[in-house]
Amino acid sequence: MSDTQRFNRVLIANRGEIALRIQRACRRLGLETVAVHSEADAESRHVREADVALCIGPAAAARSYLDTDALLLAARVTGASAIHPGYGFLSENADFADAVEAASLTFIGPTGASIRQMGDKITAKRAMRDAGVPCVPGSDGPLPASMDEIQALAADVGFPVIVKASGGGGGRGMRVVWNAADLAEAVTLTAKEAQQAFGNPTLYLERFMQKPRHIEIQVLCDTHGTALWLGARDCSLQRRHQKVLEEAPAPGISPAVIAEIGARCAEACRKIGYRGAGTFEFLYEDGIFAFIEMNTRVQVEHPITEATTGIDIVCEQLKIAQGAALAIRQEDVVTYGHAIECRINAEDPFSFMPSPGTISRWDLPGGPGIRVDTHVVGGYTVQPYYDSLIGKVIGHGATREEAIARLRVALAEMRVEGVSTNLRLHQDVLADPRFQEGGVDIHYLERWLAERAPS
Amino acid sequence: MTGSSKLIPDLDTLPEIAEIGQIATWLAEAGLESVELSNCMGGRLRLSVAQAPSAVGQGMIAQPVPQPAVAELVAAKAPFFGRLCLVNPLGEEAFAPVGSTVRKGDIVALLTLETLQVPVTAPIDGEVVEIVGQAEDLVGYGTEILMIRPL
Repeated sequence: MSDTQRFNRVLIANRGEIALRIQRACRRLGLETVAVHSEADAESRHVREADVALCIGPAAAARSYLDTDALLLAARVTGASAIHPGYGFLSENADFADAVEAASLTFIGPTGASIRQMGDKITAKRAMRDAGVPCVPGSDGPLPASMDEIQALAADVGFPVIVKASGGGGGRGMRVVWNAADLAEAVTLTAKEAQQAFGNPTLYLERFMQKPRHIEIQVLCDTHGTALWLGARDCSLQRRHQKVLEEAPAPGISPAVIAEIGARCAEACRKIGYRGAGTFEFLYEDGIFAFIEMNTRVQVEHPITEATTGIDIVCEQLKIAQGAALAIRQEDVVTYGHAIECRINAEDPFSFMPSPGTISRWDLPGGPGIRVDTHVVGGYTVQPYYDSLIGKVIGHGATREEAIARLRVALAEMRVEGVSTNLRLHQDVLADPRFQEGGVDIHYLERWLAERAPS
Repeated sequence: MTGSSKLIPDLDTLPEIAEIGQIATWLAEAGLESVELSNCMGGRLRLSVAQAPSAVGQGMIAQPVPQPAVAELVAAKAPFFGRLCLVNPLGEEAFAPVGSTVRKGDIVALLTLETLQVPVTAPIDGEVVEIVGQAEDLVGYGTEILMIRPL
């Protein structure tokens, strides 16, 4: 630990369960908290328990949680010298991070420059490729003129490949090729179409991932050159690109493979001078990892990594922001067992429409290996203004089977009345034989839901 | 100030033509060339008027708005957050002490944030019957500052 503590009062620029999570971490480190909130969240748990609570605007996020000027003024007027943005809202807004630092406050997260670099998919991908992080295998530029060279390239990349027009977009000017025999014709046709449609026959080619999984690597970096990776998470169970259930580690992928990718992510962090917590997201199929993007903040699903590594990620964020060197070394990071997180939403279990209202009954599960992160208490009113996440139930066990078994008991004993929830969906997923096998792809949940849909 | 519902428009949308006309009239009366309003969201509204040769005086004060007979108290609420200031920093006198009569739109308190001063205005015409807010307290958005009994 560095002996220069740069702040002792943290403004939490968020709401809901993550605001409470940050408050707990602050308390653990003896830091005071400022809860800024909208009028709609005046009764929230973290607001009532904060050292200083300040209503900064009406329910509309644009005039409260997204109001940069109000947040900075609130920090000044409450004497907070650091701002934790949580996830969502302003957490990945580079201008906000810059404005915080320009106001001589500490932004608990990476620099604005890092956020900006990772916020642009093209610059992010380039930076990652340069740093040795695997991206979708492909031509890395325009296809060569000679068909022999294209054939060699495609064979190298591996079929199926997708041939795309450089000038294309929106699903136009692309063709999936399943084997070498069809490649020449596909290239000729796509080039011709690209010339006609976009006035530019330039093509490129990359591996076509049909049924990928979503695998991500958690990193933690201090400002003294240490960058750690904390294992992998599998977040393939998604609906409309929203994660529903996440687990750590990723079933069926060997620890050695993850270690190789993890080390590359950590190395990339050192190269780009990354600071704080972050997540590298990949698509994974047939042993190939393809970098999608980096999230430059704490993730909703961070507790499963905390469960398997024993590292308090939010506390570490705070310590890093204070200039402390990470006390953990990579060889100290050992994962134990398996953890699964179910995101509990106030929503209709079939239509997925938000279900705001007052929660009249809120009986939470417990027991060995069960963690519940929630801001909800009995009598809490789920607001229609914000996302519908009302809590996260995390099950941890020595094995994946044990984690699933513990979660199934936990969800069965959880009682929520007054709003609809997706508890039943989680119970059904956990009971699904294909899920129990492990390793489903990112399209699995939507297919499963379509089959389950009441006729 | 009578007749304008808010001292500072939210600037999300342009004011109505009638409001701009009213503000222009006030500017001309006061012999001012322009006014610039800005809010914390970075919104900015600047109005300039050609100078009238002479001010019109007090003739433009509008008629009191008829109030409903129900004498329920109405709170003047904080339109932002800040340190509550109940005394006019220029005149050393309370903006709206208990017993005073205020008109809708009158400044009844200020919220100060460093150099920024945000006025708290009376939502209705009436008599101030209670000061709820504590001077120098940090008050949040929507906090009740004082109670007004409609006239």
